[in-house]
Amino acid sequence: MIKLQSVSHWYGQVIGVNDVTCTIGPGVTALLGMNGAGKTTMMRLITGQIRANTGSVRVLGHDPFANPEVYRLLGYCPDVDAFYETMTGREFVTLMARLAGFSAPEAKRRADEAIDRVGMADRADRRLAGYSKGMRQRIKLAQAMIHDPRIILLDEPLNGLDPGGRREFILLLRHLADEGKLILVSSHILFEVEQMTRSILLLHRGRLRATGDLRVIRELIDRHPHRIRIETPHPRALAARLVEWPFVLSVSLEAGGEALEIQTREPDRFYGSLPELVEQGLVILGLSSPDNNLESVFRYLVEA
Amino acid sequence: MPESGLIADLSYRGYDGPLLPPTHRWWVIARMGVRQAFRKRAYWVVTALSAWYYLVMMAVLFFFERAAQSAPGARGEAGFEAFIGRIVWKDQFLHGFGFAQLLYLIAALMLGAGAIANDNRSKALLVILSKPCDKRDYLAGKWMGVFLPLLTMMLIPPLVFFVYGALSYRDYGFLDNPWFFPKFLIVLVLGAAVHTSLVIGISSLFDQGRLAGASYAGIYFLTNFFTQLMVFAWLDSQVFLWGGARGGAGQSPFAEYVDRLYYVSIDGLLIGLCKAILGTDGSPQFGMPSPIRPVPAPPLLATLLVALALCAAGVAVAWSRIRAVEVVR
Amino acid sequence: MVASLQNLTVRYGSFTALDSLSAEIPEGCVGLLGPNGAGKTTLIKTMLGFLTPAGGGGLVLGLDIRTQGREIRQKVGLMPEQDCHIPGLNAVQFVAFAGELAGMPSELALRRAHEVLEYCGLGEARYRNVETYSTGMKQRIKLAQALVHGPSLLLLDEPTNGLDPRGREEMLDLIRSVSHGKGVNVIVSSHLLPDVERVCDHVVVVSRGKVTEQGAIARLKVIEGRPIDIELKEESPEFVRALRDLGATVEATGLVLRVRLEGSAEQVSATIFRTARQTGAQVRGLAVAQRSLEGVFEEAVRA
Repeated sequence: MIKLQSVSHWYGQVIGVNDVTCTIGPGVTALLGMNGAGKTTMMRLITGQIRANTGSVRVLGHDPFANPEVYRLLGYCPDVDAFYETMTGREFVTLMARLAGFSAPEAKRRADEAIDRVGMADRADRRLAGYSKGMRQRIKLAQAMIHDPRIILLDEPLNGLDPGGRREFILLLRHLADEGKLILVSSHILFEVEQMTRSILLLHRGRLRATGDLRVIRELIDRHPHRIRIETPHPRALAARLVEWPFVLSVSLEAGGEALEIQTREPDRFYGSLPELVEQGLVILGLSSPDNNLESVFRYLVEA
Repeated sequence: MPESGLIADLSYRGYDGPLLPPTHRWWVIARMGVRQAFRKRAYWVVTALSAWYYLVMMAVLFFFERAAQSAPGARGEAGFEAFIGRIVWKDQFLHGFGFAQLLYLIAALMLGAGAIANDNRSKALLVILSKPCDKRDYLAGKWMGVFLPLLTMMLIPPLVFFVYGALSYRDYGFLDNPWFFPKFLIVLVLGAAVHTSLVIGISSLFDQGRLAGASYAGIYFLTNFFTQLMVFAWLDSQVFLWGGARGGAGQSPFAEYVDRLYYVSIDGLLIGLCKAILGTDGSPQFGMPSPIRPVPAPPLLATLLVALALCAAGVAVAWSRIRAVEVVR
Repeated sequence: MVASLQNLTVRYGSFTALDSLSAEIPEGCVGLLGPNGAGKTTLIKTMLGFLTPAGGGGLVLGLDIRTQGREIRQKVGLMPEQDCHIPGLNAVQFVAFAGELAGMPSELALRRAHEVLEYCGLGEARYRNVETYSTGMKQRIKLAQALVHGPSLLLLDEPTNGLDPRGREEMLDLIRSVSHGKGVNVIVSSHLLPDVERVCDHVVVVSRGKVTEQGAIARLKVIEGRPIDIELKEESPEFVRALRDLGATVEATGLVLRVRLEGSAEQVSATIFRTARQTGAQVRGLAVAQRSLEGVFEEAVRA
């Protein structure tokens, strides 16, 4: 639905995105990267606020730059907090609906529906000036949803929400994705991104570093073999046995004497061979994979 | 320095050094304000500009005296004598003060408009108040941080003129009654205090220095406009419609109100204060003869009370607006 | 005890922010959790002595919050959530200013500012104007100005706000090293529960003006009966059935099973691996089941 082909954009000498080619389909996709990696630039290119210096951006087949046709299909929830502070939440969302071209009664209906969906129904009649960060985020999402767009882009949407609010927001995004929409979320809070999706797009210094399913990407990072942590009351005895296996690349004992960590390129084989050791009397009280999460994958991909 | 062994531990360590007593806190804030003021080039430019009357007078006196000495005969001398005779020395300071009012306003704006407003915007207040520093220290520090540079600026030109006069015109009666100068200093202190209190009070109402500055300037010019109307009425009563035809000071219907309302503006108040404290009604500026009688000085006590009331008002407004706690529902 | 509060009631006009709140905050690193509007910020401000409670009272570091606010602030450092800096100053000047406000003489404040900025990881950048800083650097400066006067208690309000993943890790490491390595007590107020878990040993949950849960994280996460969470490579109904035949209770959600079985930890683990081998299932994860901190939080908030 969104297609970037060799897209580059720079601001004077500073490169925003550098030769990025990717395709994004329906569902929730996470846009990740360090600060300054090019995420905001990419969002702006997709929402048509800026035009790529080279390459082409296609949103549902059209070029989004200054293209009202595309705006109808997009909803954007930016990072900034720019509201008309004297309006109430409801008034603001209704205004956005009117700006999108709906008639007054239709705009009101859609605004009420959107506000309800984001969970602000009881608080939408207060002035925006008094809103907490979390409430602002919900209003932003409401105004991004009112025209029922096929694509919604969100930049740091969970900022300022309390844990309950975050969970609701994530559920809402998943519902929207289930309706067939394309949701692109940019966030730094990786453990939450993990709850939203496995499909990631990682930018680093303007270039596309990785794209696709998180698990698959993990497998492909050869430089970092899988780390597996084993809790056991007799780490050295266990270590002595594990070292014998050729597919175990390293064994390291944890300070504290209650666990060890191994590295292997063949996790399947490793896990498969463990029960045998237990039969032989070695005790395994805990088994986990410390770097099988998004944070570790991110770290591995972004270092040097 | 490694304390034990060969490798020093350079990581975080607690602080158990000396601590200055809390009475010192306001000075920390004041010093920051003073430093920021002295670093601004505009500050020094405004100081120089505010000396313009004194500079003109010094030039006039110098060149007139020089011309008189080199002119042939007693005519030049007599001219100079006549000129000097018309000059009331302490009034020169009054005029210097009066003509510099606009520049004092500019300086007050420059130094004070952002004083609290900028802290409101950048939430620096939270940092300051989260230290063992309370509202009192903060306000005293900010106030002094504006007052001290403003006073310095107001002090330098008259001081220079005083030294020049004392050295060059002692024979012409400059030091006949030298107590006028300490009194003048009191005027400067009060003037600086009024400006500081008002600008700090207004600054605390906004979170943008520009808005605060515009507000204070607005109030200043509005009252100033009113005063100019009064000047016109006064001149009118002296010279124009009513004065000349009926001889002398006229019976303009405005006359009895004018000398009371003449001082109802910020600069008017300060000039009035200066007149009242120095004990003079003023004399023609630049030593030029003029048929217009100057506006008489307002009563000292009333003017002093108004000035102090304005100071108190400004400080009270600032006090009530400084809050560490914002209520967000 | 770092702080002990009894029946604290704080009102803003007619709105009651803290409702007869009592809490005991232990030494070490404590997380302060709570939904928005629950009263966390009010609590912090009351502990700093900014607000006078309408009822109740308490001690922070042994000092009364009603009467000794100034002394409390001498020993406490606050890292606020919002950006706060004085325009026109660079990092060293700003942190030295903060030190002087705490009563340090100016050269000592300057030296200490350099030390603390070094510790917080700001190298050459400390000589640049604070306005030019990135979010990560701004957070570090806020931490530095809180540490400069050597407080015994640090209050951190959303310390990882706006930081990218690497910045977040570095900040959390910094906090952990200050609290566990240097003996400074820390209270972290945050919405990011995994961050709190990583750094803190205790939590206090505030909801609707009261403390609804407090205690050591390790203790709060314990589930009765020590069930075991097992993660399999592929779903295996035979494995589940075999375990049930042995008398275990099994709750299966996809690849994750929660198993309750009699016996010591060693016995249970041995049984599991044996059963896995017999039924051809591959065990990829094995751990004592714990409530997530989020679960603890949700329950505390619902109460």
